[in-house]
Amino acid sequence: MLRSCVVLTVVATLTVAMAGAPRPASAQAGEEQLRRELDTLKEQLRRVEQQMKQQEEVIRRLSPAPPPPAPAAPPVVTAPRPAPGVAPPGVAVTPDVEELKRMILAEIQPQLSAANRTFPSQFNPAIGFIVDTVFSHSRQQKSNFEFRSAEIGISASIDPFARAYGIINGTSDDVEVEEAAIVTTSLPWNLTVKGGRFFADFGRLSTFHDHDLPFVNRPLVLDEYVGGESQGDGVELNWLVPIPHYVSLTAGMYNKIGAENDRVDNGVSRDVSEFTYLLRGSTSFNLHDEHSLDVGFSDAYTPEVRIENKKGRNLAGIDFTYRYTPLASASYRGFVWGNELLLNHEHRETSPGNGDFKLNNAFGMYSYIEARLTRRFYPGFLFEYVEDVDNKNFMTKKYSPYLTFWVSEFQRLRLQYTHTDGGPGPDRSDDGFFLQWTAVIGSHVHSFRDR
Amino acid sequence: MTRRLFLLLLAVVALVPADAGAAKKLRVVATIPDLADMTRQVGGDAVDVSSIATGVEDIHAVPMKPSFAVVLNRADALVLLGLEAEHAFLPALLEASRNPKIQRDTPGYIDCSVYVQPEEVPTRLDRSLGDVHPMGNPHFNLDPGQARHIVRAIVEGLSRLDPGNAATFKKNGDAYLAKVEEAMTRWQQEAAPLKGKKFVSYHPDFIYFAERFGMVQVGTIEIRPGVDPTPSHVADLIERMRQTKTDVVIREKHYPASLAETVAKSAGAKLVELPTMAGGQPETKTYIGFVDYNIRTLVKAVTGG
Repeated sequence: MLRSCVVLTVVATLTVAMAGAPRPASAQAGEEQLRRELDTLKEQLRRVEQQMKQQEEVIRRLSPAPPPPAPAAPPVVTAPRPAPGVAPPGVAVTPDVEELKRMILAEIQPQLSAANRTFPSQFNPAIGFIVDTVFSHSRQQKSNFEFRSAEIGISASIDPFARAYGIINGTSDDVEVEEAAIVTTSLPWNLTVKGGRFFADFGRLSTFHDHDLPFVNRPLVLDEYVGGESQGDGVELNWLVPIPHYVSLTAGMYNKIGAENDRVDNGVSRDVSEFTYLLRGSTSFNLHDEHSLDVGFSDAYTPEVRIENKKGRNLAGIDFTYRYTPLASASYRGFVWGNELLLNHEHRETSPGNGDFKLNNAFGMYSYIEARLTRRFYPGFLFEYVEDVDNKNFMTKKYSPYLTFWVSEFQRLRLQYTHTDGGPGPDRSDDGFFLQWTAVIGSHVHSFRDR
Repeated sequence: MTRRLFLLLLAVVALVPADAGAAKKLRVVATIPDLADMTRQVGGDAVDVSSIATGVEDIHAVPMKPSFAVVLNRADALVLLGLEAEHAFLPALLEASRNPKIQRDTPGYIDCSVYVQPEEVPTRLDRSLGDVHPMGNPHFNLDPGQARHIVRAIVEGLSRLDPGNAATFKKNGDAYLAKVEEAMTRWQQEAAPLKGKKFVSYHPDFIYFAERFGMVQVGTIEIRPGVDPTPSHVADLIERMRQTKTDVVIREKHYPASLAETVAKSAGAKLVELPTMAGGQPETKTYIGFVDYNIRTLVKAVTGG
């Protein structure tokens, strides 16, 4: 439009100039003069056109992108994002260009203001919502629709120095704050400090939420020894060791570790000797581009377990996970072999209420393999072996083949069969079927911890 | 116990390589080999560049290895495609890297999409549309016409971090773009048989390439971006391909072969396997080699060569 106006103006000027030119004394001299003037005007026209082209380029770059054809709703269009004050390549920044920029910005100011009004909402945290429900049937436990959890996760930066996140979990029994923590983001020397309620850095699958586990139920050894998820109220310091190889070291101090660990009351004050202290080291080896091995060691030590017997407890574990991830087909081929071995060293009452305590070293483990056959089907097998924390001669073994069907990245169905040997009750074996349906809406982050 | 721990920490710290005195090069990590190649061209001897992906991966599913966190931890700059292309691995790796120099909106965070006009910007954000990218289709690296925007972002990014070499970066960038321009003239001629050819790809990642060389996308094997197809979608797609006389099915090399083969065979179209990044094939180590390969392979398919 602007370009057309200028071209018309120049053509009009040219016509007027031709019409208004003084008649020369001789026709030949007049023709020569006219030709020279025409050439001059042509050159002027060329320059104006060139300038207009450059200005059009500037306008194009400063304008929002055109909407896609025939949109069903007002388009969410991303405007190009030139750096402030930086001119496009090949375009000299002249006062005219600056003036043009100012004019265009003034023109689009109402739209910018309208957009700016929505900016405060951008400070809202990212929010995700996860539904996890399981139908189960077993010989001993009968059948049940278990509304396992409806979990809301929120996270955002607090300021340049820290971020915060929270996981609020509603089950059929209650609603609880599963995690609510502050994590530093700008400490020197590769350090981070985490404080609040969070999953302590103990082992591997203890730090996974139920819906993120590779199988339906949390391994028995984690339920019995850790107390389910490794939830703890406390503080944790983590150091990414500044060497070319990945080594992560964690030290932590908590009221207790384990959401369902009932050895200690979470809500009372205690002596320093009654906190639980954690040390963890983990590393990873790239055996090849497509093969890797993650190895970790964890130790949670409580000098005095107050509610039970004032004697100490030590829970040590090693975990190792082998992964085969073919780079060119990672989304539909792969293999994982995950293992955790735990040793619980604790004085336990020989029979409930008799006040007679005996040192018991109980060992438990799980091992699972999972194959990625297509983008949707992930079959796997889980084996568990757990010695009872009160009597190591009383052991439980579980065998669980399972099949996960990913409807999409955000929805999953899982069928699992579990055969149990050595469970509680007079009939010490059981067979159970589980069908799990899990879905996530809203913000969804692929976290490093859950990889 | 405490003394042993202290000695252990001391030993670990002693292992930290001391690079004081060495020629100070910018340590740059690029997310994909295309960007690594361009950064090497622009940065020359002033940069030391590595790439997270090797080129054979799906950019939306690059495995998150702990070793990447270490590489990023030591980086001065991160060069990424942007438009959330790396959403599956980069945000978590950035957090794990503990490196404040390369976090979002810092000078070391070089987003190569800043000057790109995005295609397929969604009119609505909803997961029923699949794994949509809110800022638009991020696969612009397949279109060599975008190289000037990418190189410009890299030149500006490196110049922010090393102003003393800004003139060199500009000169190197211009020289590289001249090479791309020269190749572009050749590509436009070579790709002439692609004009008007109809194609189906597994994922919508050939949008920018198609627009550049005049190809027409009929559909995708995925029912929605990132969502595997249902049998009815495949049947509908094959029918549409027959009706529109679709010429080519592009299987990006990181997607399963069997379904793409079935679709191509059923619809009477040629099947072509193409990389979506430099390094996806042995002969595509450089960005120019990558574009060369894709054009040559497609032209061969549509001309029956």
